[in-house]
Amino acid sequence: MADAKTAPAVTLRTRKFMTNRLLSRKQFVLEVIHPGRANVSKSDLKERLAKIYEVKDSNCIFVFKFRTHFGGGKSTGFGLIYDNLEAAKKFEPKYRLIRNGLATKVEKSRKQIKERKNRTKKIRGVKKVSIYTNLG
Amino acid sequence: MTAAVAGADDERKAQALVRDDAPKLLAALKEMKDGLDLVRSKVESLTRKVRKNQLPTGDGIGYLEAKHHLLLSYCQDLVYYLLRKAKGLSVDGHPVVRSLVEIRLFLEKIRPIDKKMEYQIQKLTNAADGAAAQDKVPDDEVNVKGRQQGEDDLLGYRPNPDMMDPKIVSEGQGKDGIYVPPRIGPAAMDDSHSKDAVRKEKRLLRMATENPYFKEMIDDAADRPEEWKETAGDESKEFMAYMRQREKQEKAEEELFTRAPVTKREKYMEKQMKKQLHGLQGLTDGFDLGMNTLLDGEKEDDGGSSEPRRQSAGRRKHQKGGKRKRH
Repeated sequence: MADAKTAPAVTLRTRKFMTNRLLSRKQFVLEVIHPGRANVSKSDLKERLAKIYEVKDSNCIFVFKFRTHFGGGKSTGFGLIYDNLEAAKKFEPKYRLIRNGLATKVEKSRKQIKERKNRTKKIRGVKKVSIYTNLG
Repeated sequence: MTAAVAGADDERKAQALVRDDAPKLLAALKEMKDGLDLVRSKVESLTRKVRKNQLPTGDGIGYLEAKHHLLLSYCQDLVYYLLRKAKGLSVDGHPVVRSLVEIRLFLEKIRPIDKKMEYQIQKLTNAADGAAAQDKVPDDEVNVKGRQQGEDDLLGYRPNPDMMDPKIVSEGQGKDGIYVPPRIGPAAMDDSHSKDAVRKEKRLLRMATENPYFKEMIDDAADRPEEWKETAGDESKEFMAYMRQREKQEKAEEELFTRAPVTKREKYMEKQMKKQLHGLQGLTDGFDLGMNTLLDGEKEDDGGSSEPRRQSAGRRKHQKGGKRKRH
């Protein structure tokens, strides 16, 4: 499948394909051959995979840990395709869900957290809960 | 008359055409005709023998019989295939091709069995020949001898324990009831599995395949096509070692479906390698070739390399508390 923008085609190849029934997903090693251009973006790869594997929801596809080989032109990474969105939300780590847009990052200011912790150090027992609910 | 002359003319024209267009075809056809003549003469002699009941194959070796059947059907299929091709009919998808391939596969598969049984089959056929020859000469004495020989031959198939080397002398055999410990014969130690030997083998293989000078020679000798690489010039030893390590790591990572975290040292190495792609690193690498191979790596002589021996480009896992130990 040739890319419309650049002349050389981008080829996707999956290896070590395995259906993981326990985590209700399919996992594989994804090899992308892109001669003459820098890395292919993850969204492009997700689109292609959705076409190849006929996935209805491209939100269930996760690709990560891509590394370009020496000399360029080829990169290898991992890919997962979940059966449904609930399984994805259950099993995927937070940062990957955030990358796919299925969860939002909770902005935790470190200073606030440390202040709260120091306040609880002064009190003993069940009363700590009040600090978390009132002042936190 | 004119028709005959016209016919001869046509024939001559056809011959001239064939000679010009396909000289190889003529040669191949001639070869085929010679082969077929040879086969015909052999088959005729065989059929003559069978008619005279001189070749009874009823009680023969079952394995050989099966092989005969296979070969016969293979020849039949071949002939039919050639017939179809000669008549210009298409052979695509015809069951004859499939059966040809199947029989060929069978024959290839039984080849190792053949090799293993060769000795036994030879013995049996020789014995059979001997018996057949003796049938022709109705001499009582010879017959008796032959029968004895035959029986001996049959018994000769079992393993001969007397030929074995006595490695262990039976225990407690000493004179006057003195205990004599068992003496085990000398055993040859095979060094080919020790770490050193394995490493040496790997090193030789690596030298043959990666050293650019050797590689050129071997590629020339093996008549391989020229290889075009991405890098300019020859790759240095350090680069080859780096690539080897990277490939090993990639394989392991794919196997385990994880990635090892990239350390600072690895990042540094990668940066160094990417800088040094000018192709001049490998220029002076192979000059200690002759010396090293001659000495057979006895004393791990670098050949006077001026670079200090560095630790391999891996993670420093086994260095314990480097900072703390300095007194």
